[in-house]
Amino acid sequence: MKHIKSLNTRDLKKSAKKGGCGECQTSCQSACKTSCTVGNQSCEQLKK
Amino acid sequence: MVHLFENHGYKIALDVDSGSVHIVDDLVYELIPQIEKAVEAGKSDAQIAAEFGGGLMDMERKEAVAEILELKNNGVLFSKDEYEAQVAAFTKREAVVKAMCLHIAHACNLGCKYCFAGEGEYYGPCGLMSEEVGKQALDYLVAHSGTRRNLEVDFFGGEPLLNWDVVKALVRYGRELEKKHDKNFRFTLTTNGTLLTDDILEFANQEMSNLVLSIDGRPEVHDRMRPYHNGKGSHEGLVEKYKKAADSRNQTNYYVRGTYTHFNTDFSEDVLYLADQGFEQISVEPVVAPPTEAYALTEEDLPVLLEQYDKLADEMLKRRRAGKPFNFFHFMIDLEGGPCVYKRLSGCGAGCEYVSVTPWGDIYPCHQFVGQPEFLLGNVKDGIKNTELRDEFHNCNVYSKPACKNCFAKYYCSGGCMANSQHFSGNIYGAYEIGCELQRKRIECAIMLKVAESMDAQEEEEN
Repeated sequence: MKHIKSLNTRDLKKSAKKGGCGECQTSCQSACKTSCTVGNQSCEQLKK
Repeated sequence: MVHLFENHGYKIALDVDSGSVHIVDDLVYELIPQIEKAVEAGKSDAQIAAEFGGGLMDMERKEAVAEILELKNNGVLFSKDEYEAQVAAFTKREAVVKAMCLHIAHACNLGCKYCFAGEGEYYGPCGLMSEEVGKQALDYLVAHSGTRRNLEVDFFGGEPLLNWDVVKALVRYGRELEKKHDKNFRFTLTTNGTLLTDDILEFANQEMSNLVLSIDGRPEVHDRMRPYHNGKGSHEGLVEKYKKAADSRNQTNYYVRGTYTHFNTDFSEDVLYLADQGFEQISVEPVVAPPTEAYALTEEDLPVLLEQYDKLADEMLKRRRAGKPFNFFHFMIDLEGGPCVYKRLSGCGAGCEYVSVTPWGDIYPCHQFVGQPEFLLGNVKDGIKNTELRDEFHNCNVYSKPACKNCFAKYYCSGGCMANSQHFSGNIYGAYEIGCELQRKRIECAIMLKVAESMDAQEEEEN
């Protein structure tokens, strides 16, 4: 494409079909204890 | 929903509901909002092409419109939020516990002025968790974890090193439990570092998946808010100790973590101070405090704080290009391997998959609610008694928070911190507007850094 460049991103619609195992890190168990952040957690299924 | 924004000279279109990120030129940037309205009005591709494609000879415009429509038809632009029913079904699943904040010590050798635990004691009596209570807590976690294999335990305080022998005993006990029940414990130690020794570090390096080392940044900033009880600052010697810890962990699986307040709204200087000391994993967060406190962030601080995030992102980019990168926790974003929509939309898990346990075994929804009697859920011996409260937390997700509905950030913050909502709006379904503004800016910066990385890689390839 000439006017648009798209980044590789996880398709959230597809993730709705297969996701929900609940194994990934709880957000407050990382470095933050006062501000919820989930966008930087990694999916345990994709890590495998 | 499409969120358009400019950062560091890039024009970026975030297709919120598919998670797609597009770098666009000026023309597309101008056309997207107009075409979005036309799509919402139900216009066909042919109608849109005719309406926005310009005159016969305006090939640039025709190409731009065609590209926009191609993305739309591939489901990566103007996509819709179709997850509400699925998330509702997901949150109706039986609540399991998979993460626990163990308050190993309600006591602290520091008297940090912004401590949400009232200088480490959570507004209650001072106390250390016994090995017996700690073991009951781990038993409770395993018994209520259902099929979850990965269990997270954070040794928290007060200052957990004041009760180090119990921490060690509980780690050993956890290792026994994981064999017996086919679980995988991930331990974290959060410490103010003042009591950190080589022996403790050695144990932590063997057993702790993550080490969170508190430091606010520049000595004068740190000492102002993090004094000993006698008023003396606690910065001295910390950098050396933490540097040793970071290097001994190969600069991974740790964070130096600080809090910024109204007194250091130029907090990017503190982040850069930490980077200059040689730390590669850095987290500096905004303080959460009632507006009556002098150190609380105010609405007037907001423009300065937003600018600081931009400044920090620019500097990080500069350093990455110069081969001296570091990670800033709030700018970390996993666009390719991030969590599924359920994780993104179902809230932080406080009160159901994540709980906090006091030295006496009392269970609260999270560390921020500890010591507030109206948020007591139960205890590790008898289990959760206040199931109504547990359900209230369980049902709290982005769809139950009106302020989140049209916010582009909802897939990245999961509705934000429930404790902040409670403190600032009076209930967990409300919003903390200053926190939301900061969160939105951080997400924009994080996406911009990914965009820059991608553009740099492309440029390198082309050369």
